[in-house]
Amino acid sequence: MSAEYVVARVEDLPEGTHKVVEAGGREIGIFNVRSHYYALPNNCLHQNGPLCKGTASGTVEANAETGWKPQWVRDGEIIVCPWHTAEFDIITGQCLADPRRRLPTYEVSVVGSEIKVRML
Amino acid sequence: MDAAQGSTLEGRAPRKLPKGVKVFDVDIHAHETPAALLPYCEMPWRKSLEVISKVPERYLDIPSFAPLLAVWTPPFPQATGDRRNTVTSAKQMRQDLDELCVDVGVIFPDNLLMLAALRDANYAVALARAYNRWLVDEWLGEDNGIKGAIVAPSQNPMVAAEEIRCYASHKNVAAIYLPSSCVQPLYGDRCYDPVYEAAQETGLPVMLHSVTAVFPVFPFNLNCFSTNFSAHIVSHGFSMVANLLSMMETGVPARYQKLKIGFSEAGIGWVPWIMLRMDKEYMERRRELPYLTDLPSAYVRQMFFATQPIEEPGNMQVMATILSLFGGENSVMFASDWPHHDFDHPNKVLQIPVPPETQRKILGENARRFLKLPKEGA
Repeated sequence: MSAEYVVARVEDLPEGTHKVVEAGGREIGIFNVRSHYYALPNNCLHQNGPLCKGTASGTVEANAETGWKPQWVRDGEIIVCPWHTAEFDIITGQCLADPRRRLPTYEVSVVGSEIKVRML
Repeated sequence: MDAAQGSTLEGRAPRKLPKGVKVFDVDIHAHETPAALLPYCEMPWRKSLEVISKVPERYLDIPSFAPLLAVWTPPFPQATGDRRNTVTSAKQMRQDLDELCVDVGVIFPDNLLMLAALRDANYAVALARAYNRWLVDEWLGEDNGIKGAIVAPSQNPMVAAEEIRCYASHKNVAAIYLPSSCVQPLYGDRCYDPVYEAAQETGLPVMLHSVTAVFPVFPFNLNCFSTNFSAHIVSHGFSMVANLLSMMETGVPARYQKLKIGFSEAGIGWVPWIMLRMDKEYMERRRELPYLTDLPSAYVRQMFFATQPIEEPGNMQVMATILSLFGGENSVMFASDWPHHDFDHPNKVLQIPVPPETQRKILGENARRFLKLPKEGA
């Protein structure tokens, strides 16, 4: 059983912004990353902080392809928890520090000017 | 080593070794005196060794050779510092290892444990090169289970890399020794990349090995202690912790994924502690370590740890628990540190209540995976 909830209007969520809304009794964060919409629980896997009240950001990576030089990457795709700066991939829910931890993601659709989130 | 010391090993062999186990000991020490290295040392430093050879030798306390950087405590008869335990020939070492029930041992130096404390880089390099020639020439000639670790002088990583490549194909060279007390900068510094490149390329593992050294104030103000009780506890453990942290900072285990990294002479109790501390901090500060793609603990689980000086809780079940905290079953290797004052007998490892299969790994199989050995085995 799943249900769809209207959580915002398109004009309330410009590109590069996010907000915390309620859907089905749960707090979720909805994100507009380059005109694609995503949703995550507002609950950090680290210490249950209000993850989605944090700042959307990029992150730093260094690997063989960058010659092991640190690079600023994925700008706007990473949500950083306001409590302890744990980083999560907005698109996949993946915890950047720990490959074993991943937040669930919610399906987001836009119908007309309504942003809807489907929750299980 | 005097005869009385040697005889104390007799008749103490473990009563019950797991069946068919070949015991590896990843830390034994050969005694290299200034006089022994002299003929192997290049000029003009051979002249220095001629001078130093005339200085009465004290254990790990030879000015300009093995500068004592420990705490000066009041001496008492038969105290640790008073017992001069040294092994000066491969033949004698083989006899001792037989009595310890050790099949394969890896030689590290005595005096050159202090190598990183020497500040004249040219001289330190000359000593390291002389030691490596001496080691290969006088200790590693036979197929009798005596293996060696090539000294990599931290003062000149380019030469260290040359030394590694020079000796890597020798059948009894099984590891690389990284002098870890007093080393500046710490082993994560990018200046050591040539050492890790050479190690990875040749398949030789690196083994960090510390010594009791509290001056200069590395890695913290250890000079504040008044006893060797304190200094010995922390100088080894802190050296390992400081160098491990440094290596994580620059992503050594991520950048050299085939490099085998081992830690010696600090026991194993510190491993779960630093592993958990690193994971905790990493969650908050991952961007400072952008080289890693996993929790620091995931890298620690790929590293190797020598047992000596093993922790000795009254209830040895505690050690089984500690092993379980960092996957030690697959990464911990028996080390005796023979013939040093704080050597561990294989009996101690056998007191840990783990299944025979785990004993077998700790006594031999983990070392077999860690060391570079000829294809057919040791």
